Amino acid sequence: MSEHVAGKAEKKRGSRFWASIVLFALAGILLAVSIGGYILRGSASTRANLDRMRTSAVLHTATEGLVDNIAQEARSEKLKELRADKNFRKRGLDEVNSICDAAMEEARAEAEKLYSNPVVEDEAALESAIENMEGVLSTSGKLEDKEHAVYGEIYLDLVDNISAWTEVAAPDMDDDAIIAALASTAPALLDEDNAHLKPGFVKLAKDLAANQQAALDAEMQGQSVSMMTGAIADWAEFSGLEGDALWEKLIGEVPELEESERFKDALLEAAKTHIAAAESGETVPEAAASEEGAETVSETQVNYSYFIPSEELAKDIQNNEDAFEALDTQLVKIIPDLCELTGKLQDSLRTNLEKVLWPGSLDFTTLYNTYMARKAGGVLSGGASTALKLASLAETLLLASIALLLLGLVLFFWDSLTRRFGVPRTIIALFFIYLCLLAEQYNISVRMMLGNVLERMTMYGVLVLAMMPGIQCGIGLNMGMTIGCISGLLGIVLSLQFNMTGFGALLFACASGAVISLPLGWAYSKLLNRMKGNEMTISTYVGFSFVSLMCIGWMMLPFNNPKIIWLLSGRGLRVTHSLLGSFAHLLDNFLSFKVFGINVPTGGLLFLGVCCGMMWLFSRSRTGIAMTAAGSNPRFAEASGINVNRMRTVGTVLSTMIAAVGIVIYSQAFGYAQLYTAPRQLGFIASSAILIGGATVSKAKVSHVLIGVFLFEGVLVFGQQIANSVVAGGGLSEVMRIMISNGIILYALTQSGGGRRD
Amino acid sequence: MTNQNKALAHISKYAVTYLFIALSVSFIIVSGLDINYVASQLLLRLNRNAFIVLALIIPIIAGMGINFAITIGAMAAQIGLLLTINWGVTGLPGIMLAAAITLPLGSFFGFLIGKLLNKMKGQETIGSLILGYFANGAYQLLFLFIFGTIIPLNDNVTIVGASGVQNTLNLTGQVGLYTAVDGIAHIPFLTALYIGAGVLALAGVLQFVRKKITSKRLIVTLALSAALAGIFSLPPVASIFNGSHGRVIRLPLVTWMMILLLCLFNSTIMRTRLGQKFRAVGQSQTVANASGINVDRTRVIAIMISTVLAGWGQIMFMQSDGIGTFQTYAAHEQVGLYAGAAILVGGASIDRATNLQALVGTFLFHSLFITAQSAASAMFGDSAVGEYFRAFLSYGVIAVALIMYAWRSAQQRKAGQLSLAEETK
Repeated sequence: MSEHVAGKAEKKRGSRFWASIVLFALAGILLAVSIGGYILRGSASTRANLDRMRTSAVLHTATEGLVDNIAQEARSEKLKELRADKNFRKRGLDEVNSICDAAMEEARAEAEKLYSNPVVEDEAALESAIENMEGVLSTSGKLEDKEHAVYGEIYLDLVDNISAWTEVAAPDMDDDAIIAALASTAPALLDEDNAHLKPGFVKLAKDLAANQQAALDAEMQGQSVSMMTGAIADWAEFSGLEGDALWEKLIGEVPELEESERFKDALLEAAKTHIAAAESGETVPEAAASEEGAETVSETQVNYSYFIPSEELAKDIQNNEDAFEALDTQLVKIIPDLCELTGKLQDSLRTNLEKVLWPGSLDFTTLYNTYMARKAGGVLSGGASTALKLASLAETLLLASIALLLLGLVLFFWDSLTRRFGVPRTIIALFFIYLCLLAEQYNISVRMMLGNVLERMTMYGVLVLAMMPGIQCGIGLNMGMTIGCISGLLGIVLSLQFNMTGFGALLFACASGAVISLPLGWAYSKLLNRMKGNEMTISTYVGFSFVSLMCIGWMMLPFNNPKIIWLLSGRGLRVTHSLLGSFAHLLDNFLSFKVFGINVPTGGLLFLGVCCGMMWLFSRSRTGIAMTAAGSNPRFAEASGINVNRMRTVGTVLSTMIAAVGIVIYSQAFGYAQLYTAPRQLGFIASSAILIGGATVSKAKVSHVLIGVFLFEGVLVFGQQIANSVVAGGGLSEVMRIMISNGIILYALTQSGGGRRD
Repeated sequence: MTNQNKALAHISKYAVTYLFIALSVSFIIVSGLDINYVASQLLLRLNRNAFIVLALIIPIIAGMGINFAITIGAMAAQIGLLLTINWGVTGLPGIMLAAAITLPLGSFFGFLIGKLLNKMKGQETIGSLILGYFANGAYQLLFLFIFGTIIPLNDNVTIVGASGVQNTLNLTGQVGLYTAVDGIAHIPFLTALYIGAGVLALAGVLQFVRKKITSKRLIVTLALSAALAGIFSLPPVASIFNGSHGRVIRLPLVTWMMILLLCLFNSTIMRTRLGQKFRAVGQSQTVANASGINVDRTRVIAIMISTVLAGWGQIMFMQSDGIGTFQTYAAHEQVGLYAGAAILVGGASIDRATNLQALVGTFLFHSLFITAQSAASAMFGDSAVGEYFRAFLSYGVIAVALIMYAWRSAQQRKAGQLSLAEETK
């Protein structure tokens, strides 16, 4: 029997060995081809061929507009003809459309044939005009990129850090006052070099202030409507009333409405719907309170519509104009019909040409792909076309060969790797490395991404650390750490209630969160002590129930600071609380510095380091050792005189308290505190991170926390950026997060659960 | 055991059920909703949800706890529905087609779920919950990025100009799947009730004649059916249903026949050999294993049946009166939670469940669902509290059931150890 098993394992190892050899061979072949591609790039004939493609692409672009124009005209001509026909009404819309489309396609094919072979007489002149335009475009393009980067930095500084736009750009402030207010957040705005950006940002501030005011109004309106519909039980009483009479009666019933006279129209509208429904004996479905909370916070994207170019850039743009004129003259010589283009069509010709000649960079692959998209492949002979294709693929092949090499290496050393790091950590680490390579491929700055990963590490680190004592003391993955998170959120809300700011507020939030979590964690641990063997299931549902119970709590608790409660109903905490002006990013900005363009959140990292250090010391202490012993082998621990239940209580309370501090740190890094259902999934996120780091449901170390949070957040940050460039519109990264995070927990369960029952 | 002890044990076993009865009654009173409206809504929700809740019974009996992975069955059904809409099959044939697609798909998913749950014995409840979350990711991957690109679909279901399936698909109008089963035939609720009482009495007599039950049980059965018919014939009660106050409340005949058929299936399968295996595995895997039952295989079969049934239940839910739209990315999310909470409210536990408990639980759970918002706005002037209260009840019921089950088994284990210790002495 055992021989058989050993034979099987031996066989598996053998097949892994051969698979890795095959992968190495493939990687070698790809590498050779890729080097060939790079050599081709350097050769003069390739360069000449690329230039020929460029000319062809330019000519194709120039005729494109003309062809489109002719095709469109043919279509409308056909439509007119059909309209004149007396049978027009009998034909269906689909039929008319298909006839017109057919006519359009026919005209397009003819026009394309007409312009397909433009005769170029003065090739040198055309060539130099193109060369010139490409040159000036790249100069201005690079400058524009640089200025955009400066603009983007200031933009993000402002948008991420200012919450009350209505105060920064109040209606009665003049432009200078607004600039002064903005510069207090983004001092770079006052730089001599950035003076040209000022008017744009003033406009931005004004627009955002207007938006904010509108949103505030809409929120108030929604609240008054729901207050009205909530307060009135029988709508049939209002039947037959309209306009002012209805309004009078509504105020008579709900006196608070008097304050919302601004929204009279909307209120009357809502009242009418309800009255109509009451008359017909139905009920209006209540707009269900959205589960995830009405306000969501997402990563800010830079909006470039407020960008104003500097004088130098404006001059460069003027140069572009001249270069285009020169090129246009040359093109008109070749295709005389081009002078028929006017106004809009002329403009679109220019933007199209600019896109062809300056596709963002002069990198070989980018240029090749741009020209190919303009059907410029036809000018090349068979051999030259293959050579160029190969040259353009050089980078992709290099990446693929590195990926294969990595895969081969992992297969080759599979046994020792998995023995040392465990299967999940190996796979996720491999995935992370590959994502880094992909980021290179998609021109995503790896350094900037690493900066983001560091930021996210400080954000989630302490929360993940909270998992550790839970695992060590034997309750497994403490999904009920949400109890601690809610205590921490209570601490934050208390600090906001008392208008605290700065480090005092941060300290107060942490301390009060920890204090609140102490009795809760104690009671929770007593419950878990009676449920040995089922902790994870129970802690998950206890956590879920507590979150929903506190949803009612957030609505009912007697907070009364107008900054944190719903404005109109006058009670109930809001869903999202901005911590700007309180302690947002306080820890992260403490002593932070930039190195190689990476923003290092020193304070946050230090804090995480100190927490981890303390946890490490604790697990080396007498109590810590006893706790780990009680967790890993309760019977043995009991026999050697350790009070297992007490140790489990210590671990659970510790886990809950660290979670309370963790959520405060999380919120300061995020800049917002989110209440209601927001903390529900935090237990899952923290669990998956520590499991990826190499922990199991019964064993965890500080290193698992740090490695796990780095790998997990790394994969998420890189994955998100790459997914966004592969598939527009997001979504893919969210799918990846769900699958990785839950998949890893499932894996851990399969490793621990088998045959526990009976 | 004395009678008093018995009553106490009964009350402690069904504490959650009694609590919910009390809550439901007080909520109906506080909410001030029209009783005719509540009754019609309640019956509507009962015929919508009963099928899915009944799908939970077999895994519970097979000792696998609440199978929260029924969400995956719902996903299989939604794939079937999507394809049906895509191919433009309407009406009852459309529903049958969706059900036919669900059968192999649900069985396959069920097979995979069963295999995985066999690797985490004792943690099935949490395992199936997280498996449901994981599958939700895969489902989104399929619907957002694979449908419409790799698997081509018609324009009427995809987002034009982007990849993926539309957020909501309409089931009414041309699609023609709305009330395809519900709408076949209706009978007034009271008629259905009288027929039901008659059938109950007849079945009692038949069983007595075949000497399967004692005369005492026959009398109880007859009294029960007479009482049912009697109570609902009383003018104040009858007026709720017969249209003299509000609308006549009718039941969708075919839907109810399906639900009763499923109840019959659940109770019949328990009398077969397979059913005996489920029971044996549920009581003790070691004993079942020793008596030559393939434990792992039996558990996989239980989950497969449950997954397919849940899928069919989801189809019944989607076509039912008052739904009309298919929320592509959200329709399956709460299926496991609501069904699990409902069956527990009915008095089922992690290792015991019956048809009656499932039906009573669905009834009670949804009576709170209907009234919670209005009751909350009557009490607190804020309907959002009702919404949160509903969520709290759903999670809380499951938490309490899990705690009670863990508590009981811990006590049993202790008692077992004690008696073992005494024996060795």
